[in-house]
Amino acid sequence: MTRTVAGRPSSTVAAHGLQVALPPRWEARLFLRDALGERGSSVNPVVHLGNFALPPGRGDFGSGAVEVMQAGHAFVALLEYAATEAGTALFAAKGLPRLALSDFAPNALQRRLPGQLGVQRFFTENGRAFCLYVVLGSARGAEQLLDEVHSVLDNVAVSAR
Amino acid sequence: MTILVLVETVLLAVLTVLVAGLLRAYGSVLRRLHALDSGGADGPRQFDLLPVPAARRQADADFGPAHDISGETLDGEVVSARVVDVEHDTLLLFLSSGCATCENFWAELGRPGAIQLPRSTRLLVVPQGAADESPADLAALAPAGLDVILSSEAWRDYEVPGSPHVVYVDGASGRIRGEGTGQSLQQVSELLARATGDVGFLAGEPAPKSARDRSQEISVDRELLAAGILPGDPRLYGDEP
Repeated sequence: MTRTVAGRPSSTVAAHGLQVALPPRWEARLFLRDALGERGSSVNPVVHLGNFALPPGRGDFGSGAVEVMQAGHAFVALLEYAATEAGTALFAAKGLPRLALSDFAPNALQRRLPGQLGVQRFFTENGRAFCLYVVLGSARGAEQLLDEVHSVLDNVAVSAR
Repeated sequence: MTILVLVETVLLAVLTVLVAGLLRAYGSVLRRLHALDSGGADGPRQFDLLPVPAARRQADADFGPAHDISGETLDGEVVSARVVDVEHDTLLLFLSSGCATCENFWAELGRPGAIQLPRSTRLLVVPQGAADESPADLAALAPAGLDVILSSEAWRDYEVPGSPHVVYVDGASGRIRGEGTGQSLQQVSELLARATGDVGFLAGEPAPKSARDRSQEISVDRELLAAGILPGDPRLYGDEP
C-alpha cells in the first residue's frame, strides 16, 4: 500500500494478488469473503471501488454502499470466484472487460434503486475467475462516469495465484 | 433654576460613572467565566477551529494539509479512504485501546444515537496499526458498524501527539479545519459545534429544507452557539411548561 497525501495523484491498494492504482477521489476496500458458487471452497478476495465514501459493512455486491450513492457517483465490485471456475462457460471471456454505455441497464442491478444503472460481467484473468459489477449513479452524465470507471479498471492488475 | 440644573448635571455625572463601573465589572465577570469554560490558555491542547465555513479559504493559510487514510480494518480489510479533494468532510478520531480517556470515547461510540454528524461528514476512527496496537483489545472495544481503520501512517501524517486526538478535515479544500482533544465525545462535539457554528455536531443531519430556511437556521444556530446555548438548553424553551 502506498501512502496518500494531499496533492498526490493516486494511491494504490494491493493484496491477495490484486492491485489497484486509484485516481483522485476514488477509494478502495479489499477484503476476503466466503467462497461463492457451488464448486470450490476457497476464500476469495473482493475489491470495492467508489468515487464516494464507501461505508463499512457492505455486502459483496455493494449493498450498504449503493444506497448512499448520488447521481455523480460510481461503484465497482470485483469479486473472485473459486479457481475451479476459471475458464468455464460462464467465465469464458478473457481479461477485464471493456464496458460500453449500452451494456448498462436498471434491470442488471443487484438491488434496483431509482436512477441507477448496472452491469455484470464474468471473465477469467491469469487463471482466476472474476465477476465485475459496476453501478452508475445516474443516466445523466453516465458517459463521464463510465470514463471514470475505465480510468480505475485500466489500473487493475491481477497476478497469477 | 440654575441650582436645579447644576444638581441634575451632578446626578447625571454620578450615574454615568456608576454605569461605566457596572459595565466594566460585567466585562470582568464575562472574561473570568470564559476562562473557566475551557477558554483559558492553560491546560491540555483544546480545540481550535475557524469560526465559520465562509472563512475556509483563509483557513488554507492557517491550517496544514490533510492526508488520505490508508490502513486495515479489524477484519483485515485493506482500505484507502479519501479525505482530501472529496465532497464530504471527515472527522478523524485517533483513539487507542490503552488510554484511559479513550475509554469514554469507545463507550460513547457504542451508545445508540451518540454519534451526531452534520450532513456529508464521515467519521473514521483511527487507532495505530497492528504493530503498535492490540487488535484484539480494539476488537473488544470497537462497537459494530463503526468505521475503524488501523494506520500508524495516519498518526505520523497528522502528527498525532497522543490519544484521544480529534481532527476535522474540510474535504473540498483538503485542509485541516481544526484539531484538539477532549475528555469525551460529547465534549468534543460541543467544541466542534461552537467552533464551526454547525449544530449538526450535536443534532445530526437536519431534515431537508429550503435554502432560505436553511440559511436562516444556520445563522440562528451560530448566534445561539456563540451565546453558549446548545441544543436542549432550558433557555430555549422559556418558562412555559
